[in-house]
Amino acid sequence: MKLNLDQMTKRYGDHVVLDAIDLHLSDIRSLVLIGPSGGGKTTMLRILAGLEQPEEGRVRVNDHDLRCSEAELLAYRRRIGMVYQAYNLFPHLNALENIMLPLVQVQGIEKHQAKEEALALLERFNLAEHAFKKPVALSGGQQQRIAICRAVAIKPEVLFFDEPTSALDPEYTSEVLDLIEELREEDMELILVTHEMGFAHKASDYVLFISDGGIVVQGTPAEVFEKTTNPRVQRFFNKVLKYN
Amino acid sequence: MKKPKQVTDLFIATPGTSIARHIRLINVLILAGLLALLFGFGFSRLSYEFRWEAIWRYRNSMFNGFLMTISISLAALVTSVLLGIFFALARRSRIILLNYFSHVYIEIIRGTPLLVQILIFYYVIANAAGLNNRYVAGVVIMSIFASAYIAEIIRAGIESVGTTQRETARSIGLTKRQTYRHIIFPQVITGVLPPLAGQFASLIKDSSLLSIIAIKEFTMAAREVNANTFSTLESYIPLAIGYLMLTVPISYLMKRLERRFYYET
Repeated sequence: MKLNLDQMTKRYGDHVVLDAIDLHLSDIRSLVLIGPSGGGKTTMLRILAGLEQPEEGRVRVNDHDLRCSEAELLAYRRRIGMVYQAYNLFPHLNALENIMLPLVQVQGIEKHQAKEEALALLERFNLAEHAFKKPVALSGGQQQRIAICRAVAIKPEVLFFDEPTSALDPEYTSEVLDLIEELREEDMELILVTHEMGFAHKASDYVLFISDGGIVVQGTPAEVFEKTTNPRVQRFFNKVLKYN
Repeated sequence: MKKPKQVTDLFIATPGTSIARHIRLINVLILAGLLALLFGFGFSRLSYEFRWEAIWRYRNSMFNGFLMTISISLAALVTSVLLGIFFALARRSRIILLNYFSHVYIEIIRGTPLLVQILIFYYVIANAAGLNNRYVAGVVIMSIFASAYIAEIIRAGIESVGTTQRETARSIGLTKRQTYRHIIFPQVITGVLPPLAGQFASLIKDSSLLSIIAIKEFTMAAREVNANTFSTLESYIPLAIGYLMLTVPISYLMKRLERRFYYET
């Protein structure tokens, strides 16, 4: 994917969340955003996913200019996939219907074909036995894997993850991360906000450390995780890795 | 471990366990006995002589009133649900005038007695509009009255579908209309069915007030019988039983819906 951000600024009222961000990346397949809570990484992800617009500057993802009308933004959102922290399956629909809904209603695929595709996807990720269960009958990890299936089903240009394991019990974290890793190996393009540093290190080919509304450090995982001398970043790593 | 049998076990339920059938039966019988005593005592002091044969002659007019009450309540239920949906959506509308109108409407209807609404609507509004059909007037009044409550029920239902789901719908690329159609309404419907059933029971009882504008519904029929026979209790006791025959099944249905909904979420 290609990302081009010029002087991008996002505010909520008087509070500046992202301050004049410049970023130019190309040929990235897996971008990971890390940093302290409240630092702006989730807002950054939401802007890149077309869920919010910055007040100033330019944002381009691949060929899409994201400073545009709501209708164009809607069209953009229909081409990307988004996975939230958790609980983002629709509770009144079973797993299969959750995956079929965007296929049928948004992508305009015939119902029987959407069903086939959704079942194939569930089969592939070992979730076939849960196809007809409502979210309430599924574990957090299963719910999240089905949410990922829903995002993948539309064959998105880019797949976004907003802390996909933060709301899960630790025992379910690895099954979700395994699935994301599998998608990455299949050349799915990913942008991921995560607190799982080990996973971020292993699964990214570019890392942004975002804090206090700006990109503090950026580079390959090796550069950011091993070689950085930035005291702000080192302090963060010391804290989050203390008990690892 | 089984506790030793005690007399109190017959009357005090243990939390977390269901009450055994024979204990239930004993308590129901005792309660029925107490009520019978109470009423028996009341009536004996009244030294009232029941003359059921006097009202038996009016059974057809009572039955027609009963049907009229059902008919008005059902018709009002349908229109008040439609009106209620409209006001619930208007209440959330970004069009300020619509929003305010809905707000004022709900506050006024919920804040004033039905009796006053019936009189004002019938003698002022219906009269000015040339609406002479009492049945239609009755349905309209009850619809207006119930719709304010139903609007609030539906609004609460819409708001119970959380922001995360709206957000997810947005990220999937659903339009606002599609979000309502596929995400919000299906959940609102299951969620509002129990309170809606309760509202229907109220509607049935509240429609008794329509008798003041001489609509020949159930209560009006009982009042007429009473006026003709001076058999007050013989007219009103069947009336109470008739209303219970309608409201008890509804409240039973409501409990079942609640339970079903509870297990689903």
